[in-house]
Amino acid sequence: MMSQLQQEDRLNLAPKKFNMWIFIFTSFMFFAALTSGFIVYIGGTKAHTMGMKLPDIFLYSTAVMVLSSVTLFMASRAAKALQYGRQRLYLLLTILLGVAFFAIQVYAWLILLPGMGVYFSNPNATQSFVYVFIWMHLLHILAGLLLLGNTLWRCYRSIEQVRNLYSMQMSSIFWHFVDIIWIYLYVFLLLNQQ
Amino acid sequence: MSTLSVQDHGVVHHEDDHGQHHHKATFLNTYVFSQDHKMIAKQFLITGITMAFIAMILSVLFRIQLAYPEKSFPLMETLLGRFAPGGRLDSNFYLALVTIHGTIMVFFVLTAGLSGTFANLLIPLQLGVRDMASPFMNMLSYWFFFLASVIMLSSFLVQKGPASGGWTIYPPLSALPKAMPGSGMGMTLWLISMVLFIASQLMAGINYVSTILNMRTKGMDLWKMPLSVWALFLTAILGVLSFPVLVAGVVLLIFDRSFGTSFYLSDIVLNGTQVQPYEGGSPILFQHLFWFLGHPEVYIVIMPAMGISSEVMSVNSRKPIFGYHAMVYSLIGITVLSFIVWGHHMFVTGMNPFLGGVFMITTLIIAVPSAVKTFNWLATLWRGNIRFTSAMLFAIGMVSFFISGGLTGIFLGNAALDINLHDTYFVVAHFHLVMGSAAIFGMLAGVYHWFPKMFGRMMDERLGYLHFWLTFIGAYLVFFPMHFMGLDGVPRRYYAFTEFESMKQWLSVNTFITWAAIMSAVAQVAFLFNFIHSIFWGKKAPQNPWHSNTLEWTTPVEHLHGNWPGEIPTVYRWPYDYSKPGAEEDFIPQTVPLSQTMSSNLPHDFEDNPTGLEEHTKWANTQKSNEEVK
Amino acid sequence: MGFKNLISSKKILSLLAVFMLLGTSMLFAQGTESAGATASPAADAVKDNGLATAGYYILLFLIVCFVIGIVGKILRVFDLTQQIQGKEPINWNNVMGICCLIFLIAGGYAAYWEFKVHGAMILPDAASEHGVKIDEMFWTTTVLTMIVFVITQILLFTFLFRYRYNAKRRGHFLPHNNTIEKVWTIAPAIVLTILVIFGFFTWQKITDNVDAKGEPASINIDITGHQFAWELRYPGKDARLGATNYKLVTGINKLGINFKDKYSYDDLQADTMVIPVRKSIRLNIHAQDVIHSVYMPHFRVQLNAVPGLPTFFKFKPTITTAEMRIKLNKPNFEYEILCNKICGGQHYNMKKIVRVVTEAEYQGWIAQQKPYLTDKVKKSLNFAAEKKEVQPNRLALNN
Repeated sequence: MMSQLQQEDRLNLAPKKFNMWIFIFTSFMFFAALTSGFIVYIGGTKAHTMGMKLPDIFLYSTAVMVLSSVTLFMASRAAKALQYGRQRLYLLLTILLGVAFFAIQVYAWLILLPGMGVYFSNPNATQSFVYVFIWMHLLHILAGLLLLGNTLWRCYRSIEQVRNLYSMQMSSIFWHFVDIIWIYLYVFLLLNQQ
Repeated sequence: MSTLSVQDHGVVHHEDDHGQHHHKATFLNTYVFSQDHKMIAKQFLITGITMAFIAMILSVLFRIQLAYPEKSFPLMETLLGRFAPGGRLDSNFYLALVTIHGTIMVFFVLTAGLSGTFANLLIPLQLGVRDMASPFMNMLSYWFFFLASVIMLSSFLVQKGPASGGWTIYPPLSALPKAMPGSGMGMTLWLISMVLFIASQLMAGINYVSTILNMRTKGMDLWKMPLSVWALFLTAILGVLSFPVLVAGVVLLIFDRSFGTSFYLSDIVLNGTQVQPYEGGSPILFQHLFWFLGHPEVYIVIMPAMGISSEVMSVNSRKPIFGYHAMVYSLIGITVLSFIVWGHHMFVTGMNPFLGGVFMITTLIIAVPSAVKTFNWLATLWRGNIRFTSAMLFAIGMVSFFISGGLTGIFLGNAALDINLHDTYFVVAHFHLVMGSAAIFGMLAGVYHWFPKMFGRMMDERLGYLHFWLTFIGAYLVFFPMHFMGLDGVPRRYYAFTEFESMKQWLSVNTFITWAAIMSAVAQVAFLFNFIHSIFWGKKAPQNPWHSNTLEWTTPVEHLHGNWPGEIPTVYRWPYDYSKPGAEEDFIPQTVPLSQTMSSNLPHDFEDNPTGLEEHTKWANTQKSNEEVK
Repeated sequence: MGFKNLISSKKILSLLAVFMLLGTSMLFAQGTESAGATASPAADAVKDNGLATAGYYILLFLIVCFVIGIVGKILRVFDLTQQIQGKEPINWNNVMGICCLIFLIAGGYAAYWEFKVHGAMILPDAASEHGVKIDEMFWTTTVLTMIVFVITQILLFTFLFRYRYNAKRRGHFLPHNNTIEKVWTIAPAIVLTILVIFGFFTWQKITDNVDAKGEPASINIDITGHQFAWELRYPGKDARLGATNYKLVTGINKLGINFKDKYSYDDLQADTMVIPVRKSIRLNIHAQDVIHSVYMPHFRVQLNAVPGLPTFFKFKPTITTAEMRIKLNKPNFEYEILCNKICGGQHYNMKKIVRVVTEAEYQGWIAQQKPYLTDKVKKSLNFAAEKKEVQPNRLALNN
């Protein structure tokens, strides 16, 4: 344990991990700003309501997202136990689930929402906000997928354990955060629908 | 774990740098894409100074317009072409000048130029760190900033001119390309530049916070950090938390501009007949999002200046900063409060009056920590042994401006008074003194003080004196009369004061202000000459030219990657042991253990160290008994 | 060597002086030439003139730089000779300390002068009821802050002079003093609390929008900002303003008044804002395109005009224009409305005259104002009524 810590220090990994945490704060502030913008907007007049029910598809996408977090957790555990095969498998699974989430969201945005008569350019900005939430979150998903892909790639190159764990932790922190943000956005929208 | 990491990593890391992967030092990776924090600091500084000169020239241009509204300057047409038809500034271009002057000064000079330079230079050097947490991100941060600067300036080349809706870019003016020429392509460039800029500041800020919290050298606990680092630390936190909010606001504005949404737009008829499709949006929403960043932003601007001035004043008064803890707590107080005062920019928007009242209370509370800081600075000077270096003069100028400008904040923070003063020249005078001049002076103090550290040479002091007095007097001459214009109800951002009978009495004052501004602008040449000349031909700097206690002066004059050739020194004491009674010299560097300075130790040094205090009393007792024996 | 430098630079200086004299005389010659030729505005001549002036200033600047360089050299030489002779070189700490003292005295006088001269040029006493309260608040704050300003600046600069560097002395090691720190945390806190309470209640009273009991209802006046003018709308005999909708705006119906609303039939248009003295006025503030701001400095009235978010400000003028003219001894004095939120190129020129008159004058004036519902509008309305359904569609297409 001690030697591992020292190795981490040599590579300056602890501060870098800390960087990720601060980035998460930043990102959180961004979404907090968007949602408070939403609140200020609907608080402006009584006429501002969302005027729609969220389609069920978001429930599925949320489930997929949560599942991906679970598989990522399994991957982390495998990595710590030095079971690289399982780590790779779970990582791959996480990435696949992430892609699935991405696809579901894109489907919802491109086909489902317009099908319901909810457009982005819209006099009712609450509905535009739904799009903005989805897009901004998808941007984070994209970054998360890249990060996960990088971890997987490193895992195949069988790098030192300390770097592997570091890479694993970095992507875990980010991915779990993205997951939580989506749940937050989803619950937020649920509470404000209609 | 972080405590562990503090201990040894420096040495090992250093060996790692020079042992394992030897970078070949090329021109490209030493001067251009350098990952060394000292070089990045210099890059930020030089870009910042360049931008400051550009913004200053812009201000002189619009000052000339205000002084001679009816006169035509053929040269102006030669230089500016379509923006100054017939030698007179176009009224839209006047607003563009004002806008870009504000944007560059607030963001590019006083945020990136100030924090970027001194955070990069001082955080690792004063805390005993080899380099930033992520040197690569640090480099990226500079280049994003550089790109943002280039894009911002390139908007002058656009056919219809740069963004001109004021630096606060309130929609609908900024959202409707038809509303004014600058809201077209110029505004788009402004937004792109700003997004890049924010990305740069976030990368930088994340790095600063992480470095300060994780990588301090042995013995450097938070309460041993110099105030400059404290200020930069809290500034970085402010930036990290508030800039994302501006991104959110800007993203929504981009959607409104280009995708036909109605976040901010509602009930708009352009040119009297063109009914626009937007419905239901709220322009006030943008103001909330903007000022949620915008207000912390002014503290992002002033806090590093405060920190630098505190440091410089302590060193040059040969006296510890008075009330170190109070200084830190007031900085923390300002940081926290700055997030809940943004509404005072919006008293007259028709915001809920009760909310206005609440914002007024929080705003006036923030004056208390500011007052504490001012009094502490004065107490630091009291019974000091004041050395007038150029840096010291600028730090003093900063305090003087901060007092003068800060006091008028008490008027503007009062919602009732703000009704009549909002957006008048009183506001212009207020913020140019309290955050413009004060922050610039803090920055210049830093440049003069740490120039030997950055370039290994000394700046010319006498030119520094000249620069100081001309700028200091010039700035007061420019901004002091503006208060009275504001009290006469003269609005800001007016192209000319010729249309209103009541404003004509200020024409002569405007001419005077313009000449004062030109004088101060010309005085900057003394600085520029001094700066460039000293980089190449200045006197070689000794290792610790100011007899300062902080760690950066323990590094060799010649820069090397990793800062310290051997082990990073350990820190044993706070950074302000100046003129300690009983000490041999009038300064004791932080690296000197208390055990080596028994004669000068005070019970105060052992405040949270009971064993040390015990030792100290024991030592004092033996001394006493020895004397008695004698 | 220093002396050699000095001599040679003196030579260069005199050369430059000659150069400057020549330049100036040439410039003057050109100036008279172009003054003589004003009748024929030859572009080239004008351009030359500009360049020559700029050149002159650049030359002047270079000379100033040169003089500064020479003074610097002289100082260095002086310092060196002093050192060679074993005397003290210039003590810059003393020089700067004295400069600080001079600055304090000169700056203090300049500030006093400013207050006396420019301070006399500020707005006259408030011409509205709430404005008086604002002014009281303002003067209280001014007195308090000026006391702090004077004391702190005096302390700052006298400390600088008094405690300037002396090699024989050491600074006084004083890291902190909790008592005094508490004092100067609590003292400003108390002063600010007083200001906050005072200000909070003033603010509440000003923004209170309920008409006081027993008083007649306020006069409603609509003011609409657009690029770059203000439009006024007075209610007619019914004392009520008709509804508006921005979608109804056309070339004829500038304000988008909904003429289906019967209250709108007698709404009046006006060029000047004429208001009766000592009557409560409620300004309903609208904007059509971008944010404007209704600013009436003499009445201490300011509120933004935000598109899509109508606001209002209630005030009671107390001094008529005629009285104010006598008071200020300016026979041409007029109250004004300015725009005080950046709104585009002509932002500086959004003026509306306000005239405060007696009740009788007001009644006489308002009787002469014309309604918005002109014959022209009536005609177009009848026309539009036939194609009622078409209008929204047309708007949609316009988008």
